[in-house]
Amino acid sequence: MRTAILVVLISLPFIDRNPYHVEVLTTAGLYALLALGLNLIVGFAGLLHLGYAAFFAIGAYTYALLNLRAGCPFWLGLPVSMATAGVAGVLLGLPAVRVRGDYLAIVTLGFGEIVRIVVTNLEPWTGGPNGLLGIAHPSIGSFRFGVDSRPYYWLILLLVEGTAWACARLRRSRIGLAWVALREDELAARCLGVDTTRLKLIALGLGGGIAGVAGCFFAAKQGTVTPDSFDFILSVMILAMVILGGLGSVRGAILGAAVLTIVPELLQGFSSYRMLLFGALMVVLMQARPQGLLGLAQIRRELRGRRAAA
Amino acid sequence: MSPGEFFLQQFINGLAIGSIYALIALGYTMVYGIIQLINFAHGEIFMAGAYLGLAAILLIGSIGPIGAAAGAAPALSLVLTILTAAAGCALLGLAVERVAYRPLRQAPKLSVLITAIGVSFFLQNAVMLSFGAQDRYVPPLLPVLHARIGSVTVTLMQGIVLAVSLMLMMGLQGIVYGTALGRAMRATAQDPLAARLMGIPVNRIIAVTFAMGSALAGVGGVLFGLTYSTINFHDGYLTGLKAFTAAVLGGIGNIPGAMLGGLLLGFLEGFAAAYLSTQWKNVVAFTVLVLVLILRPRGLLGERVAERA
Amino acid sequence: MRRTASTRLLVASVAIALTMGAGCGKGQPVIKIGFAGPLTGDQAAQGTDMLHGAELAVDQAAAAGPIVPGLRVELAALDDARNPAMAVSVAKRLAADPNVVAVVGHLNSSCTKPASAIYHEAGVLHVNPVSSNPEISRQGFDNFFRICPTDDLQGPAAARFAMERLGARRIFVIDDLTTYGRGLANEFIKAARGRGAEILGHEGITQGEKDFTPLLIKVKMINPELIYFAGMFPEAALLLKQRFALQIPAHFLGGDGLFEPTLIDLAGAEAAEGAYVTTLGGDIRQAPAAGDFVRAFEAKYGHLGAYSSYSYEATRIVLEAIRRAGRKDRPAVLAAMQQMKSYSGILGTHTFDSKGDTTLRTIGIYTIKGGRFEFLEASG
Repeated sequence: MRTAILVVLISLPFIDRNPYHVEVLTTAGLYALLALGLNLIVGFAGLLHLGYAAFFAIGAYTYALLNLRAGCPFWLGLPVSMATAGVAGVLLGLPAVRVRGDYLAIVTLGFGEIVRIVVTNLEPWTGGPNGLLGIAHPSIGSFRFGVDSRPYYWLILLLVEGTAWACARLRRSRIGLAWVALREDELAARCLGVDTTRLKLIALGLGGGIAGVAGCFFAAKQGTVTPDSFDFILSVMILAMVILGGLGSVRGAILGAAVLTIVPELLQGFSSYRMLLFGALMVVLMQARPQGLLGLAQIRRELRGRRAAA
Repeated sequence: MSPGEFFLQQFINGLAIGSIYALIALGYTMVYGIIQLINFAHGEIFMAGAYLGLAAILLIGSIGPIGAAAGAAPALSLVLTILTAAAGCALLGLAVERVAYRPLRQAPKLSVLITAIGVSFFLQNAVMLSFGAQDRYVPPLLPVLHARIGSVTVTLMQGIVLAVSLMLMMGLQGIVYGTALGRAMRATAQDPLAARLMGIPVNRIIAVTFAMGSALAGVGGVLFGLTYSTINFHDGYLTGLKAFTAAVLGGIGNIPGAMLGGLLLGFLEGFAAAYLSTQWKNVVAFTVLVLVLILRPRGLLGERVAERA
Repeated sequence: MRRTASTRLLVASVAIALTMGAGCGKGQPVIKIGFAGPLTGDQAAQGTDMLHGAELAVDQAAAAGPIVPGLRVELAALDDARNPAMAVSVAKRLAADPNVVAVVGHLNSSCTKPASAIYHEAGVLHVNPVSSNPEISRQGFDNFFRICPTDDLQGPAAARFAMERLGARRIFVIDDLTTYGRGLANEFIKAARGRGAEILGHEGITQGEKDFTPLLIKVKMINPELIYFAGMFPEAALLLKQRFALQIPAHFLGGDGLFEPTLIDLAGAEAAEGAYVTTLGGDIRQAPAAGDFVRAFEAKYGHLGAYSSYSYEATRIVLEAIRRAGRKDRPAVLAAMQQMKSYSGILGTHTFDSKGDTTLRTIGIYTIKGGRFEFLEASG
């Protein structure tokens, strides 16, 4: 089944020759990558994060600056962006892990806004509101990626598939199990000797790193980065993808990203009414599937209402 | 303008804008206090309140006898406008709660959060489509009066905004801590199941909370529109985000906390813009927010509530 | 029960969406002009103004008879929500539609720039109405044409006026932290410094905010001779109003984003009195060729936005290129445009330089007097 889907997805640009469709799927892939990363933080470790776009921005600007200032190629930029955004995840996480629940959401929201405004204001480095232009597209040997969506599509497919595979492995690993303990009952986990701070930082670091990869891909594909691509709405939309797909579900994150990318495109025919319908659809979707499209039963139980106070 | 006057002028301005943040923050705080929902759509209800206020002003002006009476007594038309917007927003809040949130009462909390975002998109675009995307001018209801002390200016609107916010905050505090309704609200907030067993109509209490919070947002919307005299369908986003920040800063779920948080945010923004730079003021505001939460994880006046996982 | 009801609603809405998407293009064969701009989000107002201009041009052309025999001309309007990534996706969608032979579009320079690469690759004619960032035409795309003057013309014209006519040397600069606002502010500062002005400060405000009093109190204390604002009219209206309340005596000069009668409605005639505005081209209401346009536009949409005339003009140019090409063929339409020596429209007579920028480089200067924009002078 899984292989069949993959084969279809890989061969899709040959079957559907409409470049617009490939572009939408590439965008869906980019969001899927981001949703996978955020799912690691929110779904696996249970940390509600509202500033995830910040890591995406850090990844994008890291590659953009390295490429423009030092001619760094995309394939080197990818791990460097990942590392930079991952380190940022840990550093911003250090103070944030002290706060819990919804308050963590606000602290991360604050960080998200701070990063975006700092990027806007540091004009000599980041180009300010004008952003950075002329960032190199990726190339393999003598083949250069251009504006054709297909190479990007296959690349993002590879990145998403690889990340999804790693996430699924991670969930079954010792860390993954410890995250479950942390998410289910932090106090109990700590009593059992689980180092909760370290676990949270691992989740934030890995999640940040994935956003860094996505950012690098985005900068290389667009060729330009501007701060308005990384606003609060983006963080919220990625969170919506994770939750709509089903919190904690790897396939769910991908599905949620696909749905929330493709639906607004389908609604393009409604022009000004587009976002009105999209908002209504979000409400209807959540009411139809409160646990998410591919929600996990255990998480549904866990999040149902408030549990008896400890 | 001397440095002292400069400070005073900034202080007065921070107080006025902070009062509006506080009014909206009260709604966030009430809803969060009772069902632990970050009601992302609250900012849009505030924005809808500003538009309802505009509609009321235009309507009052257009009905001959009422218009004449209102023209003679500006305070009357202000009260009428505020009441219309508050009532309209209360109904809107009730509708949102009934249609979008109540069906999800048993659902995962985060699903409700996403629903709230959907509602927010919907309301924002509904207002855009019905009132147009252009900024709208809000005609002044009251004569534009200034008091000048040296080169420091205080406007009548600033005074009204502060007075109304304080009054409503104290009234709300009185309701929550001095009436049977308030007791029912607090009981529902503590434990909805036990409250229901004690015969409290939990769903109705939650609905009333939404209506009250939304009515306050409506008042905030009118005052906002009259203060700046331009409104836009997008105003709920930024101002809502700030009011929400204010609610958290003061300790979400806490009524005086919302007031304190609102005023503090108003001052922070003002003084950061004044002594640093406008484009860094939001960084300063958010940095303070983060610091406060790290040092006092439940906000300035927040109480320690039962811990959730 | 609730669940089945909402599921049904969901299915129904998705079905509607799908049929809407697929429903276009039935009946008579069409030839499409793509339109892209922000139709939702915080710049929906300006984007909708642009859309109305394009719509009017297409409707008028269609009413006047077929442009290409046997083909119905249609506007394919898409929303980029002023988001650069969305703009790319919109551009690909237009590029992928074989019926689209030309694109009028994108409001924001940050959207036009990445989208232009897609149109270039697809070989589709791209006429941009209002993105004034000079970088865009420096990419050397032979399919790109632009009918508004760029910021590197407007900034210096504003600086010259501020210093020579108003005699201002001590200047405080404010922009709205957008690609447009910051770009224009930087051009202004460069030119003003070159003329020996002293820039006392340069700060950015956030679009959508309302309270600029803290900044203006500071400006009052610094006491410049002129405040220059590069941004859009909603923020400008608030700046003017709050400047008036604080009794700041400095002159107020702004860019073309302010040239919009709504500015005066929002700020109030009293607060707006005496402000200066530079504009791209002259006043459309006074342009001899534009009378019919203004009447037709106001009859249909009521409000004439600042950018409506630009998208109208751009769409008319595209229609002319299609008429000359005489068939639904991208290379033919593009070639027709490239061969068009000049085009006389409502803004004036355009010819295009090697980068595709219009040679109609008039920067007008207006002042607000008695609640109206009054023409002062033109340069370029």
